[in-house]
This record gives sequence, structure tokens and C-alpha cells, in this order.
Amino acid sequence: MMNIRVPIIATISAAIFLATALALLISLSVLQQYDGIFYVYGQTQRIAGAQQQITNATSSSNKLSLSSLTSQGSPYQGSKSASVTVIDFSDFQCHLCARYVKITEPRINETYIHTGKVALVFKHLPNRGFDSTPAALAAQCTQDQGKFWPFHNLLYQKQGQIDSGWVNKDNLKKLVSQISGLDMHKFDSCFDSQKYKSFIENDIALAHSLGFTETPSFIIVKSDGSNPQKIEGPQPFPAFKAVIDKELGVA
Amino acid sequence: MRREEKMKPINDNTLTALTSLKATIPFVLRIVFSSPLYIAIAAAVFTTFWFIFNVFDSLLFFSPIVTFYLPDDAITGFILTNTTSVLMGILVGMNVYVIRNSKFRLDKSMVSGSILAIASSACASCSSIGFLIISIFGGFGIITIDLLTNYQTPLRVISIVILLWALYHVHKKIIKPCSMPA
Repeated sequence: MMNIRVPIIATISAAIFLATALALLISLSVLQQYDGIFYVYGQTQRIAGAQQQITNATSSSNKLSLSSLTSQGSPYQGSKSASVTVIDFSDFQCHLCARYVKITEPRINETYIHTGKVALVFKHLPNRGFDSTPAALAAQCTQDQGKFWPFHNLLYQKQGQIDSGWVNKDNLKKLVSQISGLDMHKFDSCFDSQKYKSFIENDIALAHSLGFTETPSFIIVKSDGSNPQKIEGPQPFPAFKAVIDKELGVA
Repeated sequence: MRREEKMKPINDNTLTALTSLKATIPFVLRIVFSSPLYIAIAAAVFTTFWFIFNVFDSLLFFSPIVTFYLPDDAITGFILTNTTSVLMGILVGMNVYVIRNSKFRLDKSMVSGSILAIASSACASCSSIGFLIISIFGGFGIITIDLLTNYQTPLRVISIVILLWALYHVHKKIIKPCSMPA
């Protein structure tokens, strides 16, 4: 038997529990937004800071304009004349990214990409495990031969557990060999020389400059890179629809 | 023959214990949750944890619009986190009941039960906040998040087992004053 009386321990436990729950609630922004206005003081500061980060990142040489992104070599889908761009920061080992690719992306493609209203650009944010960077390098090498999207879909379809070896260097080459019409010789040369190492690092730096640390994260902009709107997490289609329609001016 | 004789009392004891639990657990639940106060406490705790778990699991979003969805790959996790939230609600309600209605001194199982209950529920959600762990612990954090993400379901099952164990101990504390010394 311990010599501490129940009420003392109970009060301390209850206080810790309530403080933890309250801190989590505030940090999770449960009380946060109502029509774009943030009511929790600390949260207001943080979000305002994040918005400033986006503005700073976009104002410098229109980094997020569709023409700038495609000329840098970022993989994209849709029309180059689309008036809105969805920029997706993802990791091939991230299971939440796979959830987005399987559930939300097909609906965005069907509703906006195939109709020419929106273009989708992929940016690398490999941060889930040690094998994430080799997977990003391999994917960018397939872009050289115009095979990024088939490889992207294959990786998410065959996704395994983080760092279980499913995207180690040998398995990546085996997966790439399943893409029809891809020159393995060219791919090996690109992949083995880590041709796109600095490209991936630039993508990561861009993500960080926008305040993204989590995958998948999205930024939805007009084609000239203006009016950036953030979406974080593998949100369902209605969340994307709300933002895209607003950018298109149909909401 | 000898073996059978040895086995029989063990089986009887297990059966008696199970039969006893079948009667005492509903009895304890009826006692505690006959008061609206404990129902309110349990509901508040359940709701808090339900929100926390579903935000961490990326099923519930508040921005840009409030949305909740349940994709196929999240069903198992959703069932486990709901079970954890329900158990947390019941456990906290029962703990508060014990605290308010008893004058006995605290023993080790009570302390460990409460601590483990809170720790296990935190553990169940920690696998979803990997980016925080990575940003804090760098490379070591990657290894941690690998383990937490890859073993998310077993970890959640373990947390439920710990909560059930804690619940059993709290229930024992509640029925103890009722038992008469032999």
C-alpha cells in the first residue's frame, strides 16, 4: 500500500489529463476557423505567419506559376493553359499520400484535369524514411522519358511498409522495368549518378519555405502563381472542390 | 486420470472467475453510470479522444472546410480508436467515481492503471504524428516513426489490452467495499 491519499493523486492526474487534452485541442485548431477568421490567439499568429511565408515564397520570381514549375522539369498533368494549378508535395512511402492518390486524385482528375480547368504538378517531399529519397530520384528519372505518372501510380499501388526494402535501389530498378517503353539503360545512368539530387533538394526547400513538413500537402494557385491556398493532409474531394472552385471563380 | 483430477480445479476456478466477471462488470457499470455526472464525464472524455484520434488519423479536417470521411484503409484503425475512446471514457468515469466515493488508500495497481491508461491512449495516437517526432529527433526520429507507422495496429491493440486491464483493476476497487470478509 502506498501512503498517498487518493484525492491528491486524483487531482494531479485529472489536472494533467485536462491540461494535456486542452493543449492538444488548441494545437489541433479545433476551435480555429470560422469563415477564414481564426479565433484562438496563438493560432491566429501561427496561421498568419504561414500565410506570410506563402506570400514571400510566391512573390520571389513567381516560383509557383505553372510555366515556371513545368520549365524546371516538375511532372505535371493537364493543360498548360489551365487557369488553376494544384501542387502536390508527396512522398512515395507515405501511406496517407497513397490514400489521396487512390481516393481523391481520381475525382480531381475526372472533374478538373481532364476538362482542362486545372493542372496538377507533383513536387517531392521525401521525409518518411531512408528509402524515400531513392524513390523520389527514381521517379524523377522516369520523368526524363515521360513515364513519371505510370511509375507514380505503380509505386502507390505497390506501396509497402516504410523502409521495409520495397523501394530499395534493387527493387526500384525492378519496379521501373515494369513500365513499358522505358529505356533501362538511360534510367540506370540517371538513377546511379543521382542526376536529380539537387532537384529533389530544391523541392524540399520549396516545401519548407511554404511551411510544409507533413505529406501530403497541397498548394492551390492561379496559373500565374498568385492567390495561394493551402490544403494539408489527404483530404476528401469536397475540400479540394471548395478551394478549386473558389480559385476558378465558380464558388 | 491423475492429470484430469489436477486440471479440474483450475478449469473450475477460471470458470468461476469468468462467471463472476460477467456479473460484477455490468453491476459496477450500473452503479457508476446510474448518475448523469459520470455519464457526462465519460461522454466528454470519449468526445475529446474521438476528435483527437480522428484528427491525428487524417479522417477529420477543419480547414478549408469541416469534413469527415472513412476510407477503406482506415476502417480497422477507426474501430480501434473508437474502442480506445469508449474505454477511456468509461475508465475516467469509473476513476472519478472511485475518487469521490472511497476513503481507502491508493495501491500500486490503481496508480499504474491510471498512468497506463493515459499513456496507452497517447501511444495509440503517436503513430500519426510522425512528422513532429522526425522534426524533433531527426534521423533517430525516422526510425521511431518507421516503427510507429508500421506497427500502428498492434500498438493500438496493445493499448486496448492495457485499458481493459486498467478497467478490470478499477472495477475491482469498486466492488471491493461490497465484499464481506469470510
